[in-house]
Amino acid sequence: MQIKRRFRKINRKVRTLNKERRSIMRAYVGTMNNPWRLFDELSNDFPFDFLNSAWRARSGQYPRVNVWENEKGLVVEAEVAGVDPEKLDVSVDANVLTLKGEKAEGKDAKSEFQRSFNLPFELDNEKIKAVAKNGVLTITIPRKEGTEKRKIAIEKL
Amino acid sequence: MNLMKKQEQDVQKVSRMEVAPQTRIDEAEDAFTLTVELPGVAEKDIDVTLENRTLTVTAENTVGIYKDYTLALTEIPEVRYRTAFELPEHVDTAAVKAANRDGLLILTLPKSERVKPRRIAITAG
Repeated sequence: MQIKRRFRKINRKVRTLNKERRSIMRAYVGTMNNPWRLFDELSNDFPFDFLNSAWRARSGQYPRVNVWENEKGLVVEAEVAGVDPEKLDVSVDANVLTLKGEKAEGKDAKSEFQRSFNLPFELDNEKIKAVAKNGVLTITIPRKEGTEKRKIAIEKL
Repeated sequence: MNLMKKQEQDVQKVSRMEVAPQTRIDEAEDAFTLTVELPGVAEKDIDVTLENRTLTVTAENTVGIYKDYTLALTEIPEVRYRTAFELPEHVDTAAVKAANRDGLLILTLPKSERVKPRRIAITAG
């Protein structure tokens, strides 16, 4: 009798565990709907991306960003408090945008960070603008001309 | 300004999340340097107060909003930074200085004269 009761208890536990696992899976699939997440850092396979990136941003591994998008291009805002604008390096290779920098930690210590984004379109190398103000770097990136979204007419047979 | 608008602003003020900024304390021979990271905060939005021996820093960041654009990735929330420090006895509170550069608030807390190392001259007896 007692064994039966214990089994029932274990069964219930397994059921709730399964439920939890499913909800985690759902959260993960939810992040996959966000193209930026997919194209961002490869090691972001932990389901709670937000916590992960927040932790990494806190630990100084990379700066936090806000990305704004429209058909003409992107605006990327990155938090780079304490980074000398001269030590900031924004570079572009085809559709990969890389932010690099060096932060002074006290008198002679320093830390380096790097973050890359795989963007969904090619960038116009010549027209990128970056402005640093109050510890926020704003990068304006226009889409390369001729790579705009275009509608394809469907012909009738 | 009408009441409605004022209330709305009050609500916005309250709805910001309060977080502690990243800080670092360095000690030199004659002063402590307190570095507070306040990215996206304009100088006018930083508030440094010293009450008795408690130094409080509050600041609100401004997150850029771009019309005609849609937000694709958000990691920077609108927050209120707040941190407080109890200054030790040997800090000269009257001489505390604050500077703002590259999103950093740099507070210089000089040590009072009596704790600074000094050389004692030996007089021939």
